[in-house]
Amino acid sequence: MTQTINTSGYSAITDSIRNEARRILGDGTVSAVIGYTSSRREGSTQPTVITKSEDADKLLFTAACLNNLVVYLTKAKKDVPHEGRIGIIVKGCDLKALVGLLGESQLKRENLYLIGIPCNGVLGSLFNPSAELNSETIAPKCRECTDRIPAGCDFMPDVETVGLPELNPFYSSEIARLEALTPVERWEYWKEQFSKCIKCYACRQVCPFCFCEQCLCDRNRPQMVEQTPRPSGNLAWHLVRAMHLAGRCAGCAECERVCPMDIPLNLLNRKMAKELKEMYNSEAGFEVREKGPLTSFDEHDDQSFIR
Amino acid sequence: MNPENKNRFEPKIIAFVCTWCTYAGADLAGTSRMQYPANVRVIKFPCTGRIDPVFIIKAFQQGADGILISGCHPGDCHYIAGNYHARRRFAAFRKLLEFIGVDLNRIQFSWVSAAEGGKWVDVVTDLTERVRNMGPMVEFKELALEEQWSGGLDSPDLQQVYEAI
Ligand code: SF4
Ligand code: SF4
Repeated sequence: MTQTINTSGYSAITDSIRNEARRILGDGTVSAVIGYTSSRREGSTQPTVITKSEDADKLLFTAACLNNLVVYLTKAKKDVPHEGRIGIIVKGCDLKALVGLLGESQLKRENLYLIGIPCNGVLGSLFNPSAELNSETIAPKCRECTDRIPAGCDFMPDVETVGLPELNPFYSSEIARLEALTPVERWEYWKEQFSKCIKCYACRQVCPFCFCEQCLCDRNRPQMVEQTPRPSGNLAWHLVRAMHLAGRCAGCAECERVCPMDIPLNLLNRKMAKELKEMYNSEAGFEVREKGPLTSFDEHDDQSFIR
Repeated sequence: MNPENKNRFEPKIIAFVCTWCTYAGADLAGTSRMQYPANVRVIKFPCTGRIDPVFIIKAFQQGADGILISGCHPGDCHYIAGNYHARRRFAAFRKLLEFIGVDLNRIQFSWVSAAEGGKWVDVVTDLTERVRNMGPMVEFKELALEEQWSGGLDSPDLQQVYEAI
């Protein structure tokens, strides 16, 4: 049965972030605000950077505001101003990515003005941006989201969002299903998935944590990962990507959303997050972690697999 | 030569070792004239902390049947903590490999100190025998072959050619 999800608070949130953006741009608190604005297609949205308080009315928040804007704060995005204090609109999952970047010393908190959204879920895709938000159209990540309400922001619209109804989790049940298969079946599953990859690197481009100046996968002396979209190079790319994001990924699922080939990238991310939580009790959240699980260690870590 | 052994499978084992402990341990095994399978190819690194998981993927792609990663015991790292970091990284990487369906019996991790020539021999022998019984690692090779050869590695045509050699 399709359950409708209440997004009535979103128009009040829109008003509230417009007022706040006007205020902070007007009094010079920030030099720019990164937010969402309406896009050409009816109902769809796109990221925008506004620098004048007159433009504040262009901002909005709807269930079609899918992007994780935090990616524009990274040094990989050179066309976005990085000077002065920047305002940014963040949902809970986006904030976790931002907090991760703070922990990796990529950003300074005092250079940011965070506008948090008490989020009630967004759509899974912009295929039909005006679609009603319901248990069918909601993004898989929102189904099991436990961090809808950001914490530690500089401003949060004073709007009550009702919260989500009980929805079947997507990633955790998918992981459980795969774990129950035999290794051969799992290999077949992933082989099928990875073989679809066309190496467009959209997933890398959109990820806030893929900010390296030069990706290991682009290097060719020595070439560690084959660059052409062929089955064996694809497998290597996906394993390297999952490993480099293990312990860092915030679960914003942007990689999965932008993948033109519908590869379930976030499934690997969630699996790694789950294992690292179990082994080292460390996961992405709203608290800045000085070190991630794979950049720290404990002398008493489990080594039952080592002879 | 025994004709039955003509095409007997000999596993290729790649050992990624740290120069300070395991490499010295393997050296000790050699200078003490201990016997161990010649299937192992040793690649020396400054530290287990330098061993990137991508090396394992690469080794499998290039035809390795089994992989050994070995370094200093906890607390003995020449760079103080490299092996602690490696321990976490490989604990995580194992989970990833398992999730995509790689048999973890093909990968062995061990701590072998410079004084443990005997342990080196045991570790290498056990891994080689285990992999020998498992047969060749075909998954990665099949991926690479997929672009050139539409049949499986065990197709009758290939088998025929193989036997004719
Ligand atoms: S790997 Fe994907 S889900 Fe994780 S932070 Fe990057 S874009 Fe978001
Ligand atoms: S976005 Fe999808 S198709 Fe493009 S490189 Fe990433 S996984 Fe491959």
